[in-house]
Amino acid sequence: MSAERASSGETSTAKPLTGVRVIDLTVWFQGPVAAQHLADFGAEVIHVERPQGGDFGRGVRTIKAVPVGDWNQYFLVINRNKKSLAVDLKQEAGQEIMRRLVERSDVFLSNLGEDNLERWQLTYERLGEINPRLVYALASGYGRYGGMNKPAFDLTVQALTGLMSRLGEPGQPPIYAGMGSGDAIGGLMAALGVLLALYQRRRTGRGQQINASLYGAQLFLAAPTLQPYLASRDDRLARQRSRMDAPNPLWNTYPTNDGWVFLCLENTDDNWSALCRSLDDAALACDQRFATATGRREHAAALVAALDERLAKRGDGEWLERWRAAGITASRINNLADLARDPQAWENGYFTKAYCEEVQREVDVRGVPVRLSKTPGAVETLGPELGQHTEEILVEALGYTWEQIGELKAQGVIL
Amino acid sequence: MSKALRDVVVLDTAASFWAALGAAFLADFGATVIRIEELPPASDNNADASLDELANRNKRSIALDGRSPAGRRAFEQLVATADAFVTDAPQAQLAERRLDYASLAALKPDLVYARGSGFGADGPDRDLPALDELAAARTGMMPILPQPGQPPVYTGAGQIYTSVMLAFGVTLALLHRDATGEGQEVDASLFAGNMYGASLDVQAFLAMGGERFLRPVSRLDAGNPMSGTLYPTQDGRWVTLTMPDTDRWWPGLAEITGLDANDPRFDSHEKRCEDHRLLLMQLFEEAFQRKPAAYWRDRFDERGLSADVIEDYSYPATDEQARRNRFVLDIERPGRAPAKSLGFPLFLSDSPARLSRAAPFAGQHTAEVLSDLLGYSEDEIAELEAAGVVR
Repeated sequence: MSAERASSGETSTAKPLTGVRVIDLTVWFQGPVAAQHLADFGAEVIHVERPQGGDFGRGVRTIKAVPVGDWNQYFLVINRNKKSLAVDLKQEAGQEIMRRLVERSDVFLSNLGEDNLERWQLTYERLGEINPRLVYALASGYGRYGGMNKPAFDLTVQALTGLMSRLGEPGQPPIYAGMGSGDAIGGLMAALGVLLALYQRRRTGRGQQINASLYGAQLFLAAPTLQPYLASRDDRLARQRSRMDAPNPLWNTYPTNDGWVFLCLENTDDNWSALCRSLDDAALACDQRFATATGRREHAAALVAALDERLAKRGDGEWLERWRAAGITASRINNLADLARDPQAWENGYFTKAYCEEVQREVDVRGVPVRLSKTPGAVETLGPELGQHTEEILVEALGYTWEQIGELKAQGVIL
Repeated sequence: MSKALRDVVVLDTAASFWAALGAAFLADFGATVIRIEELPPASDNNADASLDELANRNKRSIALDGRSPAGRRAFEQLVATADAFVTDAPQAQLAERRLDYASLAALKPDLVYARGSGFGADGPDRDLPALDELAAARTGMMPILPQPGQPPVYTGAGQIYTSVMLAFGVTLALLHRDATGEGQEVDASLFAGNMYGASLDVQAFLAMGGERFLRPVSRLDAGNPMSGTLYPTQDGRWVTLTMPDTDRWWPGLAEITGLDANDPRFDSHEKRCEDHRLLLMQLFEEAFQRKPAAYWRDRFDERGLSADVIEDYSYPATDEQARRNRFVLDIERPGRAPAKSLGFPLFLSDSPARLSRAAPFAGQHTAEVLSDLLGYSEDEIAELEAAGVVR
C-alpha cells in the first residue's frame, strides 16, 4: 500500500502509487494499457510474459500495412515504466513463482481467458487465499456474468454496441471508432477499478475482485446517443444521419476549399447574424427560410447546402481567422500530422520524448493524459526487453537463490 | 457490503454531460456527490433528459446563489467539509467567481480539485471552450475514420475517455492525499481523452508517419484481410473480423467462406497479408454476400472465430449479456413508463455499483445537505429560502 511503502521508495519524486506492486499478466492492448496507467503514476508493474515470444504485442510487424520500423511502438509505449518477468506458467515451478509473487503484491491484473487462469491456478479463489489483501482485476471481453465466452477483440465487441452502425453518411459502411478505441476505454475502466479497490482496502485491509469488460466499457463510449436511444427507443437515433440533415446546421462539419472545419454554434439568431456577417453574404442573411431557429432547423438541407457552397470559396485558415475575430466557435478538422506538431499536445505533456534503448535515440511518444499538479505521472522508461527483470525479481522480491535460478533456467521455466 | 468511496464527499459543479458523468462514477462507488446548482438557474438547459439521468444518478443536489454573501458562506462551509471539487468551467470564470484552486485550497488545504477542461491546464489554447467537437476536430482522426471521399466523422466517444480519466485522476489524488495529507489539482481534458482514445493511430503516426494515417484507406485495402475488416452480407447487415494471427484462424475461416485452406496463394501469413491480400479481400467480399448476417454469426460461434455481426442499438437494448452484467438497466419509476438506461461498466465484488437514487432535480437536497452536513437549523434554512439564497 502506498503509505506504508512510500517511505522506502527509491524514486526521486513521490508518485501516488509508489510502493504498489502490480502483477500485469496481460497481452495485446486492453490489459497492458490498464497497467500502463498505474505504472505512469509510480506503481511497480511487473509484466508477466511467456518465455517464448512474450506478449503477442511484441510480434506486431505492421500497422495498417505500414511496417512498424526499427522500434515496435505498439508494445514499447503501452508497456512503459514496467518490468518484464518471463515465466512459463504451464510448468508447476512457474506457477509457484507466481504464487510467491502474489504473496508480495497488491494487484493482480489479467486479460487472459478465464480457462487459462484456471489451468494455471490463478483464480481469485486461489490467489485471494494466498493474499487476502490482493486486488484481483480482470479486463474481460463481456463481463463477469452471463457466460458469454467467445473471443473478444475491441472491434468485434464494438460491433455489438451499435455505435458503428450509426456513424457516417447513410448507405456507407459502418465505421470503427479507431484502432484500439475499445481497448483504450476497457483498460482505463480497469485502472479506475483498481484504484477504487485500493482506496477501499486502506480501510478494510482486504482486496476484492474487479471486472472491467470491453463490452460494458464500449457501451459507455456510445453513451451520448445510446442512452437517449435506450430511454426513447427512437430508431432514428440508431441509424446513420447525414450531415445534410444536421439537427442544427450551425453545429456541423463543412468543407472549405482546402480542408474541413467543425462549426459549433448554438442555433440562435445572434449566432446566425454573426455567421452571415463573417460570410459577407447579405442575401443569405435575408433569406426568410433561415430567419428563425425553427426555420434553420426545418430547412436544414437547404441551409447546409448554402453554407457548403459559400464556405468552399475560401481556405479554412481564412475562415478561422475571420471567425476568431467574430467570436464564432469553430475548429479546423486536423489530420494526425497536424496533431503531431500541435503545441497544445506537447505543452500539456500529452506527447513527450522518451529514450528508446532498442534504437538508442529519443523517440516521440504518447505522454500522460491526466495531470496531477503535485504528483504528476511520467514516462521514465519504454517497455522492457522480454525477461529483462526476471532475475532481479526472483532474487530481490521473491528470495530465490542463484542456484535455484540456474535450475529454473535449465528447465525452461524462466528465460 | 461496503462502498469503496464511502467517506468521500465530492462537490460537483460540472455543467457538461461528460464531466458530470466523471463525478457519477465516483457516486456509483459510494462517494457522497453533491451537485451545486447555481441560482438563478442558467436558462439554456436543453440537455437530453436521459443524459441528465445518467450523469447525475446517485447524486444529491443543492441550489444556491453563490454570489450572495450568505450563499457564498454556505458554499465555503461545504468546501471545508468536502474531499474533492469537480468543475468544467473556464479558468477565467473560476478566478472571477473565486472558485479557482487557490481560493478553495485556502478553505480546505487538502482538497482534491479536479477540472475537466477542453485542452488542458497549459498551452496557448487552454482557454478554448470545453467542447468535445472542438477536441475531436483537433485530434486528427475525423478525416480517416470514413471511407475515401466521405466527410469527416465525429463519433462523440472522445468525451467518455475524459469522463473516466476525471474519475481516475480524482481517485488517484485521493489515494495520495490519504497517504500524505496533501491535496492537489487534477486536470483531464477533452483533447487528452480524444487523443487517448485514438492512441494506436496517434502513436503509430508519431513513430512511423506515412500517408496511410492521413487519408482514409478503403476497407478493401486493409493491411490484413482477416483483421480489422468489414464485409457486407446478403441482408445488408455487416460482419467484422479480428484475427490478427492468421495462421491460427485461417483454416476455420476458409472453411466457412468456401475457400480452399490449402490454396497455394494463401497458404502463409505473408501471402494472405502481403502478396495476395487484395485478392483475398475480394474473395471474402463475395463470400459473405452469399448468406445473411445471422448465418455468419452461427458459423463464427461454431468455430470459435473472432468475428461478429455489426449490430445497431436495438441489440444492447435487448441483449441478455448486457442485462445480466447490469451494463444496461431496466428503470421503473412510479407514474412513468418503464425504460432502459445504461448501467455500470465496472464490477467490484465488495463494492458493487448500485442505482441508489435517481438524478435529483435542482435543489432536491438543499435542506438535507444544509442540515446534515453543515448543521443549519430549520429556521436558518427557511430564512435563506425566503431570501432567495437557496432553493
